[in-house]
Amino acid sequence: MNTSILGNRILDFAFPIFLILVSLGFALVEPSFLGLGNIFGMLHAMAPIAIISTGMALIVMMGKLDISLGSIALVSMGVSAIMLQSDYSLFTAILITFLVGAMLGAVNGFVICFLKVNPLIATLGTMIAFRGLGNQITDAQVVVLPDSLRALGNFSFGAIFFDTVICLLLLTTVHLLHQRTKFGKIITAIGNDEATAQRVGLPVTQTVFFSFVIAGTLASIGGFFASAQVGAVTSFLGKGMEFTAVAVVVVGGISLFGGKGSILWGVILGSLTFEVIRSGLNYLGANPYFYQLIGGVVIFIAMYAAAIKLGRSANNS
Amino acid sequence: MKRFNLFSVIVCLLVPFQVSASDLTIGFSWNSVTQPLERAWEDYMVSEAKVQGKAAGVNIKWVFNVADGDPSRQANNIEDLITQGVDIVSARAEDAGAINASIRAAKSAGVPFITFDRKSGSVAPTAHVGGDSYDQALTTGRAFADLLGSKGVTGKCIELQGALTDINAVQRTKGWAEVVNSRSEVSTITQVPTEWNPELFRSGLANALRANPDANCAFIASDFAITAVQAALEEADKWYPSGHAKHFWLATQDVLPGAVPLMEAGYIDVSTSYDAFAHSQEMVRVAIAIHKGENPGCSADGCLAKGRVVTPATIGTIENLWSKSYK
Repeated sequence: MNTSILGNRILDFAFPIFLILVSLGFALVEPSFLGLGNIFGMLHAMAPIAIISTGMALIVMMGKLDISLGSIALVSMGVSAIMLQSDYSLFTAILITFLVGAMLGAVNGFVICFLKVNPLIATLGTMIAFRGLGNQITDAQVVVLPDSLRALGNFSFGAIFFDTVICLLLLTTVHLLHQRTKFGKIITAIGNDEATAQRVGLPVTQTVFFSFVIAGTLASIGGFFASAQVGAVTSFLGKGMEFTAVAVVVVGGISLFGGKGSILWGVILGSLTFEVIRSGLNYLGANPYFYQLIGGVVIFIAMYAAAIKLGRSANNS
Repeated sequence: MKRFNLFSVIVCLLVPFQVSASDLTIGFSWNSVTQPLERAWEDYMVSEAKVQGKAAGVNIKWVFNVADGDPSRQANNIEDLITQGVDIVSARAEDAGAINASIRAAKSAGVPFITFDRKSGSVAPTAHVGGDSYDQALTTGRAFADLLGSKGVTGKCIELQGALTDINAVQRTKGWAEVVNSRSEVSTITQVPTEWNPELFRSGLANALRANPDANCAFIASDFAITAVQAALEEADKWYPSGHAKHFWLATQDVLPGAVPLMEAGYIDVSTSYDAFAHSQEMVRVAIAIHKGENPGCSADGCLAKGRVVTPATIGTIENLWSKSYK
């Protein structure tokens, strides 16, 4: 029993230890890797995917998946970019971006909660449909953002970038929503056993619906910062982001079966792990396909660690 | 007399068929359509087909499809074109290796295959039409080295590469390497592969600038993501026009529409155009030649249209630069 608990604790700390060792390894080759400039630079670069992963974490906590988040980012930013080109104010365009994200999240929620379609299948469909819609809106072309919005991509308070601050605020808010509110407790209950949650009279349908709305809104915010960083909306926006978000959540120790994990630490750990690997390999001038290889191995290790923990829990119960 | 009249009627009926244009349907598979360049190519191909087709007595019809950056979807799209019975298949390959199977499939169906812009890997198509990417990088690199030399600057450059599955990106890297190896004014201190993803242009350049604070120039494999380059340079406080003490020297490829105002303002120092109109013109000429059973007369590397070197000093006056006039 004690060995099992000790084993689980080691597994819990495996990725933070891995992250520290990898960072030290990169710093040994290139000391400036752990310089403040690069650390803040990495936090800046990972902010958009961390925001999108926050929404994904909320969904995964319920034992569900939303693989349309990258496409939602494209549609909402596409609408925003077109509005900005039509001389709408920056404030209006930003507001509409987030509203479109919430609306598309609501579409997912409706299909899942009221049409009773499996979340993976439902969001697979909307992922394709939303991407098509996004490409239609932007004509699949590069839409350059106005200077006012582009400036926001690099805006910083001293060394700390604006998007990093927003990311931490959103992460903390969603984490507290999950940990401290009735809504969050219902999410955990759904993740542990949806049928039981329904039987005891918890508002499962409403909770699932609003979780998808929140995830959609966060996807649009993540897309907004991703576009502001590159100064344009391109058809690349959000492509593969949904899968990176799933990987972030898994590496962050949030169970794909739902009900277990910490949104705040999980998303930070997962996002940072991938950003450290990407940035470090970039520092070393490695081939980009090597990053994909390493990323895949990291996901495999995370899944394997989760499987070992799950096996131990099953044996103990 | 009756026999003569009947003969006249038959001749009159046949004559229109003898002089009417022959039909040529070209099935074109885009790997993706995400840039003004692809739109321009397509528009120019369609308009040029009317002009050249009329002159050659060929009525050209087009069937376009788009694979959204997915090599397997592109293979299916090409299969669809062959099944539809198009006379010639042409494709801008997403992946130089994956397109080989489609070329083989077209050849076994007896349909000529023209690779456009991006060459295939190991299987030769009927013809290849495109720009000369190697020459493009070479001319830009040489002009860049001349410029830096004239300013007394020793260039320590970051090279932002394209997707390594794209033969044009590979040729541009080779062309740039040729310049770096032969000229003392420039050197490459690090290479950043971007997979043509704007986000990687930004984060890759930002990382490279932090890792190499002594870098003072960059060779950008395409200026389609120039706003991402701008963002990374702004973050590093290096985005200033030519003449400013903090100016970061930039050599790019293509002179796409987004790069035109930035070159006019002096942020981009030198580039070589990627001439969409010349490529499309050549594409139609080669297709007509193949249709007529003639030799299109391409070199061993294909029918390649070279670009022209453009600088802030010449961009205002250079003629027929498509990215300035295409709407």
